[in-house]
Amino acid sequence: MKVKIKQWHAVAMWRWDMPEDEVCGICRVQFDGTCPTCKFPGDDCTLLIGKCGHSFHMHCLLTWIQQESSKGLCPMCRQKFEWKQAGEKDQQAT
Amino acid sequence: MFTAKRLAKAKQKLPPGIELVKADDFREWQVDIQVLDDNPLYNNQVFRLSFIFSDNYPIESPEVTFINVPPSSDAAPSSSQSQPQTSQPPTPFPGRPIPIHPHIYSNGIICLDLLGTAGWSPVQSVESVCMSIQSMLTGNSKNERPQGDEQFCQSMGVRGPNGWSGWRSGGTGRGLKDVRFAYDDDTV
Repeated sequence: MKVKIKQWHAVAMWRWDMPEDEVCGICRVQFDGTCPTCKFPGDDCTLLIGKCGHSFHMHCLLTWIQQESSKGLCPMCRQKFEWKQAGEKDQQAT
Repeated sequence: MFTAKRLAKAKQKLPPGIELVKADDFREWQVDIQVLDDNPLYNNQVFRLSFIFSDNYPIESPEVTFINVPPSSDAAPSSSQSQPQTSQPPTPFPGRPIPIHPHIYSNGIICLDLLGTAGWSPVQSVESVCMSIQSMLTGNSKNERPQGDEQFCQSMGVRGPNGWSGWRSGGTGRGLKDVRFAYDDDTV
């Protein structure tokens, strides 16, 4: 029997590569959800993964970092917050 | 924008000794707290904290102070102090005094670094702040007010409906945000 595909729809699902129940420490929403200012999760409401090991919604963290009082520090550990660039490997993978 | 969503999550279960008494809106919450050990200074007493949130919470710190609620004879909601005495008239509301502590002024203002601009972090929450204050009380053995309590209270004036916001928003005296505390005591 010969099958001829005339049309097809590809469907894909995605999620951030983060433990499912982890929440953003600033807004307390799951990483797969959006920050409080966004409507749709995804590339427009991305995450920032800190070199210190703490991650946040990008918008949440930037709102914090823009405060003078934040002094550019991670809200969790108060080290200078520096985020990993896309594709940067986790140095201390466990 | 942040405030409402963040606070809605905080209403879930609170740790022992911490009880939400008013959370009708996202502007002011009131919480009753008690120490969990038998520190004789605070034993069997309940204190009331007021949290005033700005629209920018949790990026900005809330204003957290103790508030004094006078005892009353009429049956006000008397929290978890339920004695096993049944069919008695409800126990009169014992009031909520300002706890005595070398970092708590008699007007209820608390000198605690994490409540100030420099010490606040947006990962703090109502729950974590309450627990810090609980442990601040638990760890104290000094039955005294901060130095210069009287002058400080005078300079702060009277607490308005928007808290200790001071002259900037229609109150009297200076605002709490204008106060520079020196957090010099690591022992308490």
